[in-house]
Amino acid sequence: MASVAQEPASREPGGPEGPAQERRALPGWRAVGARLLALREGSIIVIAIVTAIYFSVNTSNFFTGENLETLLPYFAPFAILAAGEVFVMILGEIDLSIAGLYLFAPILFYKLNTSVGLSLVPAVIVALLACMAVGAINGVFVSVVGVNSFVVTLGMLFTFEGLSLIISKGTPVATPGGQPPLGTFGKVFGGGTYSELIWAVAIVVILQIVLMFSRWGVYTVAIGSNKLGASEAGVRVNLVMIRNYMLCSLTAGLVGVFEAVRSATVQPNPAGPNEILFLAVAAAVIGGTLLTGGSGTVVGALIGALFLGILKDGLILQGVQATYLLFYTGLAVIVAMTANVFVGRVRRGQTGGG
Amino acid sequence: MAAEGAQAPQPGQAPPPEPVVPVASAPDDVLRVEHIAKRFGPVTALRDVNLHLRKGEVLGLLGDNGAGKSTLIKIISGFQKQDAGRMFVRGQPYEPKSVDDARAKGVDTVYQDLALIDELSVYHNLFLRRERVLRPLPLLNNREMKREARRALDEIGINIPRIDVSVARLSGGQRQAIAVARTVNSDADIILLDEPLAAMGAKEGAQILDLVARLKAEGRVSIIMILHNYVQVFQACDRVSMIQDGTIVLDKPTAETSVEELTKIVVDEYRRARLAAQG
Repeated sequence: MASVAQEPASREPGGPEGPAQERRALPGWRAVGARLLALREGSIIVIAIVTAIYFSVNTSNFFTGENLETLLPYFAPFAILAAGEVFVMILGEIDLSIAGLYLFAPILFYKLNTSVGLSLVPAVIVALLACMAVGAINGVFVSVVGVNSFVVTLGMLFTFEGLSLIISKGTPVATPGGQPPLGTFGKVFGGGTYSELIWAVAIVVILQIVLMFSRWGVYTVAIGSNKLGASEAGVRVNLVMIRNYMLCSLTAGLVGVFEAVRSATVQPNPAGPNEILFLAVAAAVIGGTLLTGGSGTVVGALIGALFLGILKDGLILQGVQATYLLFYTGLAVIVAMTANVFVGRVRRGQTGGG
Repeated sequence: MAAEGAQAPQPGQAPPPEPVVPVASAPDDVLRVEHIAKRFGPVTALRDVNLHLRKGEVLGLLGDNGAGKSTLIKIISGFQKQDAGRMFVRGQPYEPKSVDDARAKGVDTVYQDLALIDELSVYHNLFLRRERVLRPLPLLNNREMKREARRALDEIGINIPRIDVSVARLSGGQRQAIAVARTVNSDADIILLDEPLAAMGAKEGAQILDLVARLKAEGRVSIIMILHNYVQVFQACDRVSMIQDGTIVLDKPTAETSVEELTKIVVDEYRRARLAAQG
C-alpha cells in the first residue's frame, strides 16, 4: 500500500499543506485564488464576490454606507437559522420545524411576559428552553424512534404554527421590549441596527469552531458520513443527534425573538416563516453543506445567506419591479448553484488530481 | 458432523443430531464464551456457542455467510447483547454494556465495514472516541493527535504518506491498516478482526497478515480473526474454530487439522442443507 503513490490534498479548510508544489508555482492573485478554491466555502465566496461586483458596476449605489446598512442586517437572520440547520443537515437529516419555532418562540415570549408576568430576559430564556425541548423531541423521533426527519419536522412545523395561531387567536401581538423607545433589551435582542449582524457573526464563529475543533463537531460529521461506523466506534449517535436538533431549534427560537423585537409585532401568519425556512435551507446548501450529510460548513451558510441578501438587494437597487423579484431570485439561485457545482469541480480537480 | 464416508441421510429422515464442541478452556484464557445464544425475531443467529481465546493466540473463526460469525463478534464487542449465555474476560464475568464499556475492559473490534469515517482525516479516525483535547478548553488538540497518530502508525509499521487527508482517499489496504491501528493503539489486549482481508488485493492482504504476525510476535494482544480463505487461516492462525448454523462444530489447533478437513465439514453441511431443502 505504501508503494501506491498518493497525492491527495487536505480537504479541510485552511489545511496547512495542500498541493504545495502547485501552490508555490502560482504568483500573487492566482495563489490567492487557488487557496480560496481549496476551501470548502471557496466556490460560494467567489460567486458572492462576483455577484457583488456585478451589482456595484450596474448600480450606482451598491457600495454605499446607506445600502450596506440595509443589506447587512437583512441576511443576518438567515445566517443564524442556517447555522443551526447545518448541524442537522451534516447528520444527513433536515429540520423543517424551525419555521414553526420561529413563529412560536416570540408568541410564547409574549404570553410569558404579559400573562405569566415574567420579566423580559427570563421570559426569553424560558421561551428558548421550550424551543430546545421541542428540538429534543424532534431528535428523539428521528434518532431513537427512527421516523424520517422530513416527516417528523414537517409535523412539528404545522403543529407549532398551529399552536401559535391558537395562542395568539390569530391576531398580531405587540412584542414586549420591542416598542419604541427601545431599551437595552430591545437593542440587544434584535432591535439595534447591527444587533442581529453581531449575533450572527458571533454564533457563526462559535459554531464553526465547534464543528471543526470539538468532539461534538467530529461526531456530527462522523454520524453524517457513516452512522453505523460511528456507533460501532462508540459514538453515542442518538445523543449527538438530539443535541443537534436542540441547537437547531434554539437558533430558530432566537431568530424568531430577534425578528419580533425588530419589527415590534409578531404576525401569526405562517407564510413569512415558511419562506424564511426555505431561504435558510437554501443558504446552507448554497454555502456548501450537502443535503445528503457528512459534510458542511457554518461559515459557508453565512456566505450563502449573504449571497441571497446581495441578490435581493442588488435586484431592488437595479430597479427590478417587485412582481419580478421572486422570479429573478429563483433563476439566480439556479444559476449560482450551477456555477457552484462547476467551481467545486475545478476545486476538486485542482486539489485532488495532482 | 456427518460420519466418515459420508453416506447421505435417507430423504425425509431428520438429520442426525450433530455433536457440538463442548465448553473448551485453557488455563491461560483471556476470553471465554459459554453457551451464547442470540435470536433476531424468528431468526436464530446463534444457538449455543462456546469459544475460548488464549493469551497471545491468533484464533481463526470460520463459517459460511449467515452462520453467525458477525453476530458473535458484535456480542463480544458490546455492540449487541446476547439472549443467553455468559462471557468471561481474564476469568472475570464480562457483561459489556456498550462498545465503550467493552473497550474499557480491553476488548476492541475492527468491523467488516471498518467503522472508518470517510469524511474525517486519518488521525481523526485513529482517535475517534478517544480524542485528545486542549484542557481546560474542550477543543481538539489536533497537533498532538497528528503526532501520536504518526508515531502509532510507524510503530506497527504501516506506511501512510499523509495523515491529514480524509480516509476516503486511501486504498482498501490502507483503510484496513488504519482500522487495525486504531484498535491496537487503543490499548486493547483482546482484538476482534471481522474479515480484515475482505475486498482486498493479495498484496494488501499479505501486508495485513504481516501486521497480525508482528502483533502476535509482540505477544501483548490476543486476536480473533474472521477469515474466509483457508490458506490464510493456516498461514496466520494458531487455532481454528468453525461456526455453522449458530454453533461451533470444530475447534482445533491449525497444526492438527487441514484444508481438507475444513472443506469436508463445509461440503457435508452443504449436502445436508440441500437435502433438507428438497424435503
